[in-house]
Formats: sequence, C-alpha cells, structure tokens
Amino acid sequence: MANPLRSYLTCIRNTLEAAMCLQNFPCQEVERHNKPEVELKTCPELLLNPVLICRNEAEKCLIETSINSLRISIKVKQSDELENILTKKFLRFLSMRAEAFQVLRRKPVQFLPTLHGSKRHCLAHEGYDISFLITNYHCEDMHKHKLIDFIVQFMEDIDKEITELKISVNTRGRLVATEFLKQFI
Amino acid sequence: MAAVSIHQFAQCITCHAWSPDQTMVAICPNNNEVHIYKLMQEKWEKIHILRKHDQIISGIDWSAKSNKIVTVSHDRNSYVWNQESSEWEPTLVILRLNRAALCVQWSPQENKFAVGSGAKTVCICYYEQENNWWVSKLIRKKHNSSVTSVAWHPNNILLATTSTDGKCRVFTTFIRGVDSRGSGTGLPYDSKFGEQIMQLDLSSSWAFAVRWSPSGSTLAYAGHNSMIYFVDEVGPSPSAQSVSFRDLPLRDVLFVSEKMVIGVGFDCNPLLFMADDMGTWSFVRFLDERKITPLNSKYGSQLLESFTVNQNME
Repeated sequence: MANPLRSYLTCIRNTLEAAMCLQNFPCQEVERHNKPEVELKTCPELLLNPVLICRNEAEKCLIETSINSLRISIKVKQSDELENILTKKFLRFLSMRAEAFQVLRRKPVQFLPTLHGSKRHCLAHEGYDISFLITNYHCEDMHKHKLIDFIVQFMEDIDKEITELKISVNTRGRLVATEFLKQFI
Repeated sequence: MAAVSIHQFAQCITCHAWSPDQTMVAICPNNNEVHIYKLMQEKWEKIHILRKHDQIISGIDWSAKSNKIVTVSHDRNSYVWNQESSEWEPTLVILRLNRAALCVQWSPQENKFAVGSGAKTVCICYYEQENNWWVSKLIRKKHNSSVTSVAWHPNNILLATTSTDGKCRVFTTFIRGVDSRGSGTGLPYDSKFGEQIMQLDLSSSWAFAVRWSPSGSTLAYAGHNSMIYFVDEVGPSPSAQSVSFRDLPLRDVLFVSEKMVIGVGFDCNPLLFMADDMGTWSFVRFLDERKITPLNSKYGSQLLESFTVNQNME
C-alpha cells in the first residue's frame, strides 16, 4: 500500500483508540433519556474538541467525541465527476442499509467545525460522504479494537472499491461505444 | 504479575460491591438487576437476584458494619437492601431527584450515604425511624454538571465529589439529629450542611473517581485527560500534585495504603501509583501483564525496567 495512505490510516487509528473511551451517561437535560451527546450537543462540557485529520484537500476525516458517543465522518477522494457520482451512489447504497452495519449513520454529517465551535452549514460538496456513530452500547457489545479495525478497513477498502467501479464503468463504456459504432463501419 | 483468578459473571458489569467478609460480591450485569454471588467450594454461585429498579443500576455499595446494600439507578431511585432471614428486603429512599442517580457511597459510620446525580446535585440520605424510609438533604447549585463520584472522609462529615465540569469539591454534610457536634473530630470549620470547603480546578476535562486515603489526609481523583491528582492539606490552602501518564484515562481509583494507589481505566489494566518518602507521587507500573505493542518498543523497555526495579524492591 502507498506509504502516505498508511500514515493517514495510522493517524486515524491512534486518534480513535484515544477517543474511544466511552461510558454510559444519562441525559442531563431530559428526564429518563439516554442519548448520544455528540448528536444532541446540548451540554458543551460533555463534548471534547473535534479532531480533523486531512490527507489532502479532498480526503479528510472528522472525529467528534463526547462522553458517551463518538462520530467519525469521512470524505472520500473524488478526483473527477465520475468518481463523485460513484462515491455518492455507493455510499448512499450503504447508508440505506445502515442497520446492518450498526455503527453506520443514516446520513453523513453535513457541516464542518469552525474555530469558534459554531456550526457552519456548507454547500453539499463540502460535507462528508459517510459518517459512523459509535456509542457506549457498541463498545459494551463489541471489542474496541475490532471496531477500530472495521473503520480503518472500511476506509482502506472504499478507495479500492471506487477505483474498481470506475474501471468497470470505463470498460463497459468502451465496450458499448465499440458495439454502437460497429454499425457505421 | 497476572490476575489471581478470573470469573466470567456476565458479558458486561456496570458496578460491583464486596460483602464485608469478602465472600460475596454484588454485581450489576448491565441491566436493572443486582446479582449476588457467593464463593462456595472454589466456585461462585448466584444466590440472590435483587429486582426493584427499572433502569440500569449505576452504583452499588455494601456497608461493612451494618451489612446493608444500597443501590442507585438511572431510573432516579435508590433502595437500601436489608437481609432479613434469607431474603434481601428493599427500603424506600426518598431521593427527590429528577435525573438519573450515578454513584453512591456509605458514610464510614453508615448512618448516611451520598448519592451523586445527573441533576447536578448530591443527595445526603439518612434514616427516618417514624416512616421506615431514608430521606435526603440536597446539595444544590454547587455543581455545573453531573456528579460522577462521591467519597466520604473518615470523619463522617466531609464529602468529596467530582463532576463532569472537571472540578473536585469538598463539602461538609453535618445533619442535625444525625451527627453529633463532637463527632466532627476537630473540624476547624463552622459545620453547616452543604457548605463548600474547597474547589479544585486542576483538570481541563471531566473528573472521575474521587477517593480519600485511609487516614483522610490525602485526596485522589482522576481526570479524563489521562491525569491523576493528589491533594494534601484539604482545606483553605490545599497543596496538589498532578501526575500524568501516557496511557488511556482512569475511571476509578483505590487507596491500598497511604502511599499506594491503584487506578483502573480504559486500558483494561490496573495502574499502580506510589508516593516516595518526600510524598511525591509517580506512576510505577501496570499490575497485569501488558499486551506487547510493537509500535512503542521504547516504552516497553522502560516498563520492563521499572518492573525489574520493583521486583528487586519486593
């Protein structure tokens, strides 16, 4: 594997290991509720500083942590329009089946953190492609290192998957064009 | 050193407490029940199940002298369990909480217990003979976030708390009719209920796991920034030491003696801290065998060094 990708993924792995110190924590605001604080963001003291890991402009990973939950949002490399469409369709396909993945979020996070901590809603292409939500319940049911392995493996595979899809689309396009143009010979 | 023996009681244990003679253990298997196990012929047998709460139990404490179990739960309730003949009978506790209860501890004289809650309050509960229930007095408006841990000073009056606002506080909990003035053991303070003696703002993140040393002269608590804090001379001018370690944060601490503390946390391996003759605290070593991580071999060798040094000491 390319070296830069390896260090990018190692950085994410180490950050996740440090961030995944979650515990059961009932809601302070609403009686008898127990919700992921990273999604509610009602109590600023229960949130930690978000970490943004960028490999380059197009590839980045945002890790937001709270006392009982952790959110990982990934922006996948899209160098051209075809990759853009393929990523969007493929990740949408996965998001629609979020239950099967347990830690997958149905919708990716659509804002970037700003320096002042306020949410800045941004244009669709600025948001993330896919988000994971890990709560203390996932950590209770599953091994922490396996969860981290899953996320890192996912990130490793997604690039490969998109490249393969792109090649097959291109190949198919060429075949179709050849077949179509045959009639004019 | 490795674990002496390992027993799998449940998939996940939220909290536990030992019986006074250490032959029984009460655990919460991450649900609304308390299971009591007893050691019988080298085997742990489940002998009781306490069912009364309707949400996950967040704290259990077993009193050493009076053999009572107190449980608190996210359902905002607490019960004191008394063993009558062979069954455990619950007694109602009037907590008056509107958020989850998070932690509980019996006072040393066992006439009171303290409950920390998500309502940013601490309840000091005491028994009321006339109604056969435990009533509570609340310490309000002192914490800015959930109270994660409570600890009683051996003098039965001072109570230390930690909170997710990162602060550790010490309160007096003198209750008229429950505590006698003489039991204050020479407290220089005007003992009024709920008065804040001290507030420590050492941690930049959430604070957990506050404990007093056996004599009550040192206070230790952990921060979520992988730090442990030791406080001497608790009072108007405390002196504090912060010890940072490179591993994941601690979730609970235990004083083994005045000079030795064991911390447990997200590393799944107990950490040992010790104070030298000057009273300077430092991390000594892990108690369990550490899984070898090839990435940081340098740290491994350091660990090995401290391990061998320690063996020589022993």
